[in-house]
Amino acid sequence: MADPFDPARYVPEAAAAAGLTISPADLGDVTQAFAVLARVAAQIMATPLPEETVAAALFIPDDGAAQ
Amino acid sequence: MTRQTARELASAVRSGERSATAVIEQTLAEIAARDGAINAFTAVTKERALAAAAAIDAAIAAGRNPGPLAGVPFAVKNLYDVAGLPTIAGSHIDRHRPPAAHDAALAQKLAAAGAILVGALNMDEYAFGFSTENTHHGPTRNPHDPARIAGGSSGGSAAAVAAGLIPLALGSDTNGSIRVPAALCGVFGLRPTIGRLSRAGMRLFAASIDVGGPFARTAEDLALAYDAMQGPDPADPASAARPPEPTLPVLSRGIEGLRIAVATGYYASQGAPEAFAAVERVASAVGAKERIELPSPGAARAAAMIMTSVEGAELHLEDLIARAEDFDPRTRARFLAGALAPGVWYARAQRVRRWYCGEMAKTLANVDVILAPVTPYPAFPIGQAWMEHAGQRLPAAGHLGVFTQPLSFAGLPTVAAPVADCGPLPLGVQIVAAPWREDLVLRTAAAAEALGAVASPSPASIEVPGR
Repeated sequence: MADPFDPARYVPEAAAAAGLTISPADLGDVTQAFAVLARVAAQIMATPLPEETVAAALFIPDDGAAQ
Repeated sequence: MTRQTARELASAVRSGERSATAVIEQTLAEIAARDGAINAFTAVTKERALAAAAAIDAAIAAGRNPGPLAGVPFAVKNLYDVAGLPTIAGSHIDRHRPPAAHDAALAQKLAAAGAILVGALNMDEYAFGFSTENTHHGPTRNPHDPARIAGGSSGGSAAAVAAGLIPLALGSDTNGSIRVPAALCGVFGLRPTIGRLSRAGMRLFAASIDVGGPFARTAEDLALAYDAMQGPDPADPASAARPPEPTLPVLSRGIEGLRIAVATGYYASQGAPEAFAAVERVASAVGAKERIELPSPGAARAAAMIMTSVEGAELHLEDLIARAEDFDPRTRARFLAGALAPGVWYARAQRVRRWYCGEMAKTLANVDVILAPVTPYPAFPIGQAWMEHAGQRLPAAGHLGVFTQPLSFAGLPTVAAPVADCGPLPLGVQIVAAPWREDLVLRTAAAAEALGAVASPSPASIEVPGR
């Protein structure tokens, strides 16, 4: 499947929508840094996982005894 | 240059051979005279150090036990709270924060053991880097070649110990920030199991991966500091409810009977031949013949990068929106990119982590200790942005974490130990074990040190180019 992410298009549009100001001088570096994240994200999105695998950050509340 | 170990200094102070005040006065004089060449310190806490030394001397004079680290000077990465100082975490933005009211928990524990805080140490901004080329505070220079990086993000901690300014320092490690600078500066560093040491009073970077830990010039000093800092702490939600498990009493047990394997495949590629040769020399010395392929390091590193970027960006989102221009140019783009990452990436990274840790647990059921390189190459010149390797153009600093990131993602305790006889530029070996087995990694490091396979080299006299 072709990678659907286009960092050059996504970064300025998502930043504007999220209220993040990226200076023209930084835009290339941010786009490049985001492209790295998109590349590694594609790797983990393609890693086959059993459906029952739950997040590592599983929160288990205590019974309040320690409060 | 002072090369006495923490144990030797504490022994001299406890026996009355030297006063704590004399030790601290000499340390402060050494820092004043020599830190300018490496730029490890961002603050020196002279008055409180001298007051603490006087208190140790008074305790000894009164016949009280001054603690196992009596009079030992130490310093902390400047993301640790130090009472009276703003906790800047390598930033410009936080210079005007209110001063910390208390020392961080680990600094308090070292002080309770008799150690004396002498200052705060340079780092990459908000711990997001592997080189300590900090634009606001200047780069920390490698004591073995001041034209080269010290590694990061705890570069000040490693450099100060390597230069002999202090025998102990504290740093933090998310993806390699203790292990990388330890290796490049030629000192020992311990990344403990996540949950083992309290993070209360530390400015975190990526809370689900961060740990604090010590640097030293011997495995014994590492164990001495680590033991003094153990114990649960309700002030840190990630602190495990485990009693201290002292390692010093078992440090000299050696490696007889331990199943030690060398990580191969991923961990034997993507780097310079000397990095792998260094690991092989240690393996040969400790009799490790087995080779082991660890599961999915590439996916683990990828997931660690997503979690780190997103958690770091979330912590600093308010400043990224209001004043992005005040971030270090070396971190700004990466923080902004993390702020834009879709949530599904983060959720997937969390699930990958669960699966990966299960796979690592299966591997660790068949082996006690794993050896792997710390970095793919030794320290590179300050300012170098790219590294050519096997026809690939890699980010010189970013690629330093290629071997550390997958292992910390599983939360495994790891000693980074300096491999002996590496030439002018140090290299390190990671000594890794199952969660909560700090005893095994410290024992193996001590045994390798006794065999002469790992040792912290003394830098030649330091001259900064162009000064």
